[in-house]
Amino acid sequence: MIRLDNVVASYRTGRGSINAVDGVSLEIPDGCILGVAGESGCGKSTLMKLIYGDVQSPMALAAGSIEYGFADGRGQPITSQTIRQHWFSRISYIPQSSMNSLNPVVRVGSQFVDFPGADPDKKRVLEQVRAYIGKLGLPVETLDAYPHQLSGGMRQRVMIAMATFFQPDLILADEPTTALDVVVQKDILMLLMELQEQMGNTILLVSHDMGVHYQVTTRMLIMYAAKAVEYGESESVFRAPLHPYTRMLIDSLPTIGDDRARDGIPGRPPSLWQELRGCRFADRCPLATARCRSEEPALVEHRPNHFAACHHAGELLAPSGGPAWQ
Amino acid sequence: MTATRQTAATSADLAAGRATPPSRPRRTAAGWLWLFNTRLVLGLVILAIFVVGSFVLPFFCRVDPALQASYMKNLHASPAHWLGTTGLGQDTLWFLIFAVRNSLTLGIFVGIGISAISTAIGLSAGYIGGLYERLVMLIVDSFITIPLLPILIILGAAIRGNNNFLTIGVIIVVFGWAWNARTIRSMVLSLREREFINMARFSGAGTLDILIREIFPYVSAYLVVGFINTVLFAINTEATLAVIGLSKVEVPTLGSIIFWALNYNALFTGNFVWLLAPIVATVLLFLGLFLVSTGFNAAFASKRGVA
Repeated sequence: MIRLDNVVASYRTGRGSINAVDGVSLEIPDGCILGVAGESGCGKSTLMKLIYGDVQSPMALAAGSIEYGFADGRGQPITSQTIRQHWFSRISYIPQSSMNSLNPVVRVGSQFVDFPGADPDKKRVLEQVRAYIGKLGLPVETLDAYPHQLSGGMRQRVMIAMATFFQPDLILADEPTTALDVVVQKDILMLLMELQEQMGNTILLVSHDMGVHYQVTTRMLIMYAAKAVEYGESESVFRAPLHPYTRMLIDSLPTIGDDRARDGIPGRPPSLWQELRGCRFADRCPLATARCRSEEPALVEHRPNHFAACHHAGELLAPSGGPAWQ
Repeated sequence: MTATRQTAATSADLAAGRATPPSRPRRTAAGWLWLFNTRLVLGLVILAIFVVGSFVLPFFCRVDPALQASYMKNLHASPAHWLGTTGLGQDTLWFLIFAVRNSLTLGIFVGIGISAISTAIGLSAGYIGGLYERLVMLIVDSFITIPLLPILIILGAAIRGNNNFLTIGVIIVVFGWAWNARTIRSMVLSLREREFINMARFSGAGTLDILIREIFPYVSAYLVVGFINTVLFAINTEATLAVIGLSKVEVPTLGSIIFWALNYNALFTGNFVWLLAPIVATVLLFLGLFLVSTGFNAAFASKRGVA
């Protein structure tokens, strides 16, 4: 279980500091695939960096704490201060652009073997790697190739192979399929799900694509303007979203047999520079009332394991007529 | 638990996973063949002749080639003196052989010095950045703006009487490392922002790991070429100084032969070989180094499959 307690991440800039993640509290159970969705600038990537422990100036963990719920070799619990020592062994990261994530002048095999945490006996590691990538559907020759000789899908597979080779407890995948076409995208997602099923670890999947989330995740976190606005089991979130923002995101998905025009959500997210009062979504929300503009809603459990931060949670917008999500 | 988990992914997979061919002879046979292309081979042959000739033959030399009046002056080529003798009564061929050896030694000495200093400084300044980089680059830029030749002329004139031949080398290193350092730093600057460096950091690599394993392979091809160019630069600079009489002209080098030939009017006494021999030797040596340099470039490119 990974526990985030009122986490605030701030960036120091010339104009003062700004909170890109502002008071997020979550409990992520072990062995789930958590999807994180929200528009650009809502704090998804910052949240990933925080959890990964890559806290570097100008970003800082201004408040709150992260507990990972697993212990190191000596039985000490791992915290956000010590997580760095366990990069790629307990926690790993699958980057967005696999195109640029491999060193173009080093063969794939040597990049695999050069892991700082790897066994010093390179021959044995290489044997293991060869067997492992075979399992992931990559030909053995991949290891002799330079990255530019591989296709985008193969490179992403290589990245996934690297990130999962040590069977980490937690894998962060930051839009792992954005740069790929839909067929390869499906293969990659299936591969991730398969590996997760075998290893039983936790995956945090960031994506803009609600369709991907629907297919892959077991839990969903929706973020808006640095806040967590809805968190719950994917089934429940997709079937009956509690927050109007989530509802609108889901409604933007096309479904077979439904040829209505898709509307965008009018307006834009608030600038984080302003003093923000009340619900941050209020300006764009069709349900907003005076209370929404003055009083900030807390993330409350409205149904078992389904949280939302909305004063009108559950007062669903009129069903839009399309087939329900189930 | 941590120790075993690293291999846990795998021992079972090895047994169950798909069988992989245990040996791949293709890779070992082609392990070094990629290096060779026409240019490189031609360049290496020329260099080999120069290096072997100039470093081995001196062991068979009975008369100090720099000693004046060992023979009659300005003799024409003959079986006893293949390139004749100089206007100072030295054997031209032996003098030339020693000259090539000394110039090459100087070039390699300077090449190693400059490559080592500029690589260390360029890599660290580019990757570490911050205040360290600004301080280092201030020094580098100062050295770049100092015009080399006037400084060398002044220094050469000042220490001419009591300089060691290697002092010239040290001076060239001191005033020559900055350009290469700046080039390498600029390469590293662009590398630092690439995603794969970030990825290496995310996999737990430290600064030194990243410099050695990620950035150095990228820069290494340039280093080989840069080293060869530095050798050229050093030989060239020393020859320039020698021609105008500011190196240690008693020591045979490619430049000092020309100095003596010009001072003793080789052209007017009809001893063309004395003047032409070092010029041809210099041109051939440069050609060899140039071919090796571009040959390496082509070889590295073809190894990655981009040429």
